Amino acid sequence: MPVFKLCLKILRKNVPSLAIYIFVFIGVAVIMTFSSVNEQAGTLAFTRSKTNIAFLTEENTPLVAGLKAELAKVANFVELPDEKEALQDALYFRNVSYILRVPKGFTEKFMQGEQVRLEKTTVPDSYSSAYLDLSIDQYLNLARLYLLHLENPTQEALAKHVADALAAEAEVKLLPGGAAPDMQLSANLYFNYLAYSLLSVIILGMSVLMLSYHNKDLQRRNACSPLSAASFNRQFGLAILTFTGLVWLLFIILCLLFNSKNIQSPSTVFFILNSLAFAVCSAGLSFLIGNLVTNAKAIPAICNVVTLGQSFISGVFVPAELLGDTVLKIAGFTPAYWFVAANNHLAGLQQFTRATLQPVFNGMLMQIGFALAFFALALVAAKKRRLE
Amino acid sequence: MVVRIKNLVKRYGDLLALDHLSFSVNDGEIFGLLGPNGSGKTTAINCLLSLLEYDKGEIEIFGQPMAPDAYHIKREIGIVMQNVAVYNELTVRENIDYFCGLYVPDKKSRKELVDEAIDFVGLADFADFYPQKLSGGLLRRLNIACGIAHKPKLIIMDEPTVAVDPQSRNKILEGILALNRQGATVIYTSHYMEEVERICTRILIIDKGKPIATGTKEELKAMITMEEKITVETQQLTPEQLARLRALPHILSAEYQNGLLVVKSGRGGHNLETVLSFIRKEKIQCGKIYSELPTLNDVFLEITGKHLRD
Repeated sequence: MPVFKLCLKILRKNVPSLAIYIFVFIGVAVIMTFSSVNEQAGTLAFTRSKTNIAFLTEENTPLVAGLKAELAKVANFVELPDEKEALQDALYFRNVSYILRVPKGFTEKFMQGEQVRLEKTTVPDSYSSAYLDLSIDQYLNLARLYLLHLENPTQEALAKHVADALAAEAEVKLLPGGAAPDMQLSANLYFNYLAYSLLSVIILGMSVLMLSYHNKDLQRRNACSPLSAASFNRQFGLAILTFTGLVWLLFIILCLLFNSKNIQSPSTVFFILNSLAFAVCSAGLSFLIGNLVTNAKAIPAICNVVTLGQSFISGVFVPAELLGDTVLKIAGFTPAYWFVAANNHLAGLQQFTRATLQPVFNGMLMQIGFALAFFALALVAAKKRRLE
Repeated sequence: MVVRIKNLVKRYGDLLALDHLSFSVNDGEIFGLLGPNGSGKTTAINCLLSLLEYDKGEIEIFGQPMAPDAYHIKREIGIVMQNVAVYNELTVRENIDYFCGLYVPDKKSRKELVDEAIDFVGLADFADFYPQKLSGGLLRRLNIACGIAHKPKLIIMDEPTVAVDPQSRNKILEGILALNRQGATVIYTSHYMEEVERICTRILIIDKGKPIATGTKEELKAMITMEEKITVETQQLTPEQLARLRALPHILSAEYQNGLLVVKSGRGGHNLETVLSFIRKEKIQCGKIYSELPTLNDVFLEITGKHLRD
């Protein structure tokens, strides 16, 4: 199989230029992995934070002491002189977010069941003040509840009951929200980005092969050999398929390596199948470009225009939700759009039935349709070139 | 007979590129196809190799009709194209191995043939070089190695020395003679008459797609009336003296230009002695005197009225 081996040697010679796109993919994958880890940490982790508060009381009773003790769980107490200007400054410079004043006679009125009011000064519309309001309301409401239902409770007993009730903790586990698991969403990112890298490498490799194939002097020289045109084309075609298959396999392995958590998800199989359809489509597009390009120096430029242009308007780099309707309508005429659309649909799936997967299959069929169209156009271009 | 071409006609639109061209090449010959640029040499070779469809005529190689799918015939042919046809992505060795591999599937015997071809064209020191690193002459040698590595019975070389330095040209011509000594029949096209004269055992001169003359170089030279060309350096020659010189027996022509007197004389006379006697008698002061035998260019000039490189 001299022609097959020749093609592989030509491709091997061009590995450095092809490797650029592979390294770019690896680089982006690493960045995505780290940003994904950080995002997950931001979403799933919970750290209790405390608000700075100035707690001013004009009486020292067990009930007020209990309130202060309870607030200590969610607030840092900042000692401030009880002067209007000092308090306003502290609030203005955000040394405290909340100033709470317990007026004289508060406890007595509370114990008698009268309507009471605490004085507060806060940073307007701050979530921390709302948070503290909730804690204060919770304490006082609970204390009032015990006051109504216990017989002649003392302040100490009331404070103890409330403290005990509030000491009970429930374990809270924050689950990721949305329709699909996060790992599926991250697989979506890798596979979407695959559109750019896979297409770039296949176009570049294929164009180099096609330029050799179309070199007039070499064509004539090969035609003088005892190797039939059919055998020559067969070996050349096999080389193209092998190259496409190897590049696709390499990227799939990279995708799975960087996204190993998702391997067992049923979506992985469909992500891979979708990428295979896209690889076939990329081979068709590359075959077409290879038949149209006559100058080796033009290949990288054409490769960039085709891959970057397609990737930008199809939602590879920018999420499709952020793109305008007109852009997406234009993108519908490119295979990358259908590849990305199928990936995005897959990422949102929790149930994998024929009905839920139908949009994914439609996307794949569109890509195969594109591939057939590209191959047909390429054969027309090749015939025209031969006649010239 | 290795090659037989009969009444070959090839048209490019209104242009008649080959006009009933016929010739044959015998086993063991180095057959030269000589003609100026555009005379139809490459077209004839392309038709011979079935790279071009022709309008009329017959082509037989090894006694069998040549066709695009005559792979058993192609297997015995080595071709060295006018334009260097090698892969820039492959080294010298890999290129020869690839082209040899189209004819010889067996890896072991191919390796020996490739080594032999590399030694033959003197590229051993450049075996791992890529073609872009080779000079024009070395590139031509690589082109030849790719064509002959599989040891073909018939080698067709289409102007293999175009734009080649004298050293490489010499090496290539010696190589062709060596291949012929090893038993290969060679068809060699060129517009360099010196090369054709030096290596070809039989020559066909063509012009405008038509055969002009064929034979060995001696036979071709015998076809023309001129036997000798005498050149005399002199600064004093009157028109009357020139007229008297032209009137001498066996003198075909005498021209005086830029201090050079060129006398062409026909067969049968003591031409140099006649010219020298005339110079002495007329007391013409002269410098160097050269005497040359006719070249293929003279043959071409006499038959077509123009120079080979016009």
